Amino acid sequence: MSEPDPEAAATDTSAPRSYVESTIIMATVRVVSPFVFTYGLFVMFHGADSAGGGFQGGVIVATVMLMLGIAFGIDPLREWVGESALVGVVAVGVAAFLAVAVGTVALGGAFLDYSVLPIPHPSKYGIEAVELFIGVIVAGTITGLFFTIDAGREGDDE
Amino acid sequence: MNIELPLLAFVLAAALATAVLRDVLGAIIAFATYSLGVAVIWVVLQAPDVALTEAAVGAGVTTVLFLLTIAKTVRPSGERVFERLDVPALGVSVLLVGVLLATLGALPEIGSPDTAVLTSEVTTYYLDNAYSEAGVKNAVTAVLASYRGFDTLGEAVVVYSAGVGLLVVLGKEVFA
Repeated sequence: MSEPDPEAAATDTSAPRSYVESTIIMATVRVVSPFVFTYGLFVMFHGADSAGGGFQGGVIVATVMLMLGIAFGIDPLREWVGESALVGVVAVGVAAFLAVAVGTVALGGAFLDYSVLPIPHPSKYGIEAVELFIGVIVAGTITGLFFTIDAGREGDDE
Repeated sequence: MNIELPLLAFVLAAALATAVLRDVLGAIIAFATYSLGVAVIWVVLQAPDVALTEAAVGAGVTTVLFLLTIAKTVRPSGERVFERLDVPALGVSVLLVGVLLATLGALPEIGSPDTAVLTSEVTTYYLDNAYSEAGVKNAVTAVLASYRGFDTLGEAVVVYSAGVGLLVVLGKEVFA
């Protein structure tokens, strides 16, 4: 086993980002990611009738972003997503969940009492909507953790 | 065929490898393996919702986040593969495992028809009424999003707080 000497290793790993462009990884991710994304949405929407739900589906959707980041570099992905878009997405998810919860009270029901919603099959679609909002919150937060941990603290990015 | 014993051995071996490997990268890979084994155990115990979470979060996302974190550190130099034994830590771990093992006898057998969960009125109520009242076929989802919707709202806010917490710790305003 030939480890490089500690000093060389230190300069190696403290380089800003160790992104390695690999044709194999990029091609694989390009093929796999649409399917993983679809599967994540399936788990999110179909959680009402089979195993899964918003939390699991959201994590699976977030792994698509993780894959894209690993294959094509995290910095370009972060630029593509935009500076504050993720914070907005997560906040909108929480606000929408709260709106459903408070909305049912406003419509004369109990807190999160879906049956008063003015839609067909209110309970089923109310649950689906809430699962979707949970998925948005989870996917946004995990992608955000990914970006933020990669970037590290402001100023010590050497 | 009994699949539980080999699975348990696999999970224990992976956990042990996570604890004793000196190279953090190796430990993270062993930890991902451990999560995958636990996910399979959840499937065997017929808890597919938990298994999905374990596989996606434990084996997938946490591994990537750990890898990102150690990318900023230096690998230990030297030839040794295993960490030196930390006796006080080992003592605490053995003690904790001993206490947990002592409670194991009080648990009902897996699949036993007279566990508290199965005989409880609440469980029966959920299983009888989840479809007619909540309109969904997965009773877990019915409990999660309908009967216990308030708890789930809290959980979603916890996830949100995790993101906000990280931003506060790193002194940032956006995920970038």
